[in-house]
Amino acid sequence: MRCVIEGNGVKVFGKAVHALSRIGDDIWLDPLQKGLALRSVNMAQSAYACFLFSPLFFQLYTPNIKREQSESIKCKVSLKSLLPLFRSVATMERNVHKCEIYIDDCDNKVMFKFNCKHGITKTHNLGYYECEALQAVFPTHLCPNILKAQPKLLSNIVMQFPFSQEEVTLSVSPIRVKLKNYHEEENDHMKCMYTEMSLHPDEFDYFQVGVASDITFCLKELRGLLSFAESHGLPMSVHFGASGKPVSFSVEDLVLEAVVVLATLVSKEWENPSQVSIPQEAPTPRYVSEACAANTFAADTSIADTAICEGPLEGEATGVAHQLSAFLTREQVPSSQGSSVFSPASHMRKCLQLHERVDFLRSEATLCDLSTESNLTATPNTSKIRSLLFGAVSSDQAECNALELPSLVSASDTEDDAGEHCGKLLRPPSNCPLPLSFSPNMVRKTVKLMGPGASFSISSISSCFTFSRPAAPAEFQEFRVAVGLEPTWNHWAQNKNTPWRGCQSNSGQHTLWTLLSRQSTYQFMFLDRGRKLMRTLGEHKKLLTVTRSRT
Amino acid sequence: MKFRAKINDVGCLNHFTRVVNTITKLTKTCVLRLTMDNMYFVLSGKVANGGVSMWCELLQVNFFDEYQLEGVSTEANEICLEVAPENLSRALKTAQNAKTVKIKLTKKHCPCLTLAAELPSLSSVSRIVTHDIPVDIIPRRLWHDFKEPSVPDFDVSIYLPPLKTMKSVVDRMKNLSNYLVVEANLNGEMNLKIETDLVSVTTHFKGLGNPPWSDSASQSQDQSRDVEDMARARVDIRKLQQFLMGQQVNPNKSMCNIVDQRIIHLILLQEDMSLQYFIPAVA
Repeated sequence: MRCVIEGNGVKVFGKAVHALSRIGDDIWLDPLQKGLALRSVNMAQSAYACFLFSPLFFQLYTPNIKREQSESIKCKVSLKSLLPLFRSVATMERNVHKCEIYIDDCDNKVMFKFNCKHGITKTHNLGYYECEALQAVFPTHLCPNILKAQPKLLSNIVMQFPFSQEEVTLSVSPIRVKLKNYHEEENDHMKCMYTEMSLHPDEFDYFQVGVASDITFCLKELRGLLSFAESHGLPMSVHFGASGKPVSFSVEDLVLEAVVVLATLVSKEWENPSQVSIPQEAPTPRYVSEACAANTFAADTSIADTAICEGPLEGEATGVAHQLSAFLTREQVPSSQGSSVFSPASHMRKCLQLHERVDFLRSEATLCDLSTESNLTATPNTSKIRSLLFGAVSSDQAECNALELPSLVSASDTEDDAGEHCGKLLRPPSNCPLPLSFSPNMVRKTVKLMGPGASFSISSISSCFTFSRPAAPAEFQEFRVAVGLEPTWNHWAQNKNTPWRGCQSNSGQHTLWTLLSRQSTYQFMFLDRGRKLMRTLGEHKKLLTVTRSRT
Repeated sequence: MKFRAKINDVGCLNHFTRVVNTITKLTKTCVLRLTMDNMYFVLSGKVANGGVSMWCELLQVNFFDEYQLEGVSTEANEICLEVAPENLSRALKTAQNAKTVKIKLTKKHCPCLTLAAELPSLSSVSRIVTHDIPVDIIPRRLWHDFKEPSVPDFDVSIYLPPLKTMKSVVDRMKNLSNYLVVEANLNGEMNLKIETDLVSVTTHFKGLGNPPWSDSASQSQDQSRDVEDMARARVDIRKLQQFLMGQQVNPNKSMCNIVDQRIIHLILLQEDMSLQYFIPAVA
């Protein structure tokens, strides 16, 4: 990828980098056909930001050089090395005429070349990590509540709160908009000053409230985008729904679009008796007490219902992808913390449309055993049940490479004690679509959900990876199956035509759930039996990076 | 106990904000005494804050357009609250161009001083910002700690030089030593001295003038005292600097009373406000 930014654009680019630095520690650079995307996500995966610069922003923009295929390098650069380059935006404005960015995949370096005043050229070479594209797709058109405001109004509102204020709660009703600071109850709330600002809807350029709701999000992470919007005088749109669902703040202009998606806290008052009880207390203190930097459950899962998909959005033009996104966005059942309910029947139909057959293992027996153990009436305190649904979409490009990817199921092979599973390696067919993208983000959550004893392996047409951790056999007895899914599992297990199924190892040492699919889309649902934060998440992530080798 | 007050005038609001900002710079927490006529910010001298004490008196009619108070009981018609002035100043900062500011004593999760400011807005309905500042109610048995301090039996009383000048002098001196000697005489002369092993620095101020005190006791003192005789007190320089640093009010009169080797008493006077600050001397 090579691009050249001229004059004022360098300042804008620098400001974007500053705004992203408020969110996370790394910037993902993603050169797409429709522009250069700069993205960042925070450590707790509760905040995501993306700045997309269209080709018009640049004097010159070439997303792919050298490569024959349409895909281009996706890389991740540490902000610690990038931010100093754009540290002083004011001096940049005066001194820098032009900035050239070139991603050199032979050397694994990103080169930033600044042509400055007096004929000085500064070249910076930054090493990058190659990685999967990071993208959260947030269905803004489905949000019931939309606000649009001028940046001055927003900065006036935000100014009321001290800089150190972490979280704020935005409450909207058809007659009033309120923003107040949020303090965790358990803290010494005697000493906390509460501030609340109340506005009339007329002050907003656009005001639509479908669902009166209160959302609590981290203000600190938003300040970057706010100052960016203010410096450009761009109005900001806020899209959100009920508490627990993510909120998105976006600005756009002719040549760029910026969006910040933040997870919101699940409201304490919320409850849905029709579904399994989901405790609220546990997640909340976690979230607040570690001040946006924690690995929190509520915050995490609320952003999880955004579909994470592969970089090039053009890939979404396939029917499959459409179905998937439509699927994910309907049937939003509040109980599952905002994640949509998996509707097995409809999914089955979709999967069957994608006429692929996989020779699966005969795991019906074990599957049934497991499913019968499911106990839907979870004791509220001991077992915390949550369901997470996420899907992976592969971009179904016209030209597919006949890739025979190495199967990375070696781990599952070794676990193959009972001899009746996952030993069967999946060979992708010759006309397979491009590699499936799995955001580490997504998988990490799944691993978290599985609990300490779980292990599962996911394989797609292009890659396969396994996570496993042995645990005491007793723990597996408590694996719960989702509401409504139980009969389906059985059904699928029995029906050889099903495109995918799960199985459990008999070894008793650990449970291996393998869901293999040769389709271009697949979804699976896991339930956790206890929210135990997996300390080995870091290891798992490494595992993920190692085993997902790009081709 | 009830308290409601309202400020409608921007000028009064700004003045009140400045006073509160000054108090904020002086202390982290203080006692707010509310009576029918006045509002007092009191800091009683305790070992914890180095024996420094403060008394700031505001005439409420000059600030508030509406003022209603119902104290603890009819005989003791006042309210004593412990508050962090920083919270109050933060709340007032956001209300700078408000149309009106209401202050009320309320009980939310704990007793609070609620400040509600109505801000001008783009639409017909104005914006309302509400701040709930947590306070502690001080029980009556402790009220004796927060009485108005009596003017000490001072040896010399002198008008202070311009506070800005004093501040810059004290700032420079702070780098050299921890203790500063303040001395003054009845001839309108004042010196600020520091002495260390390596260096001693003195700043002389002349022609300052001595305020006439109509108190008979001090008058007799004046007569017996030699005009050139300096009364001195050695104080912690940081306390003095704190006092000078926070000054946002421009006082009409500022003076200093010195009790030899004991205490400095700094007084700032304005038509509707007075601020007294006591700094004890160290050996």
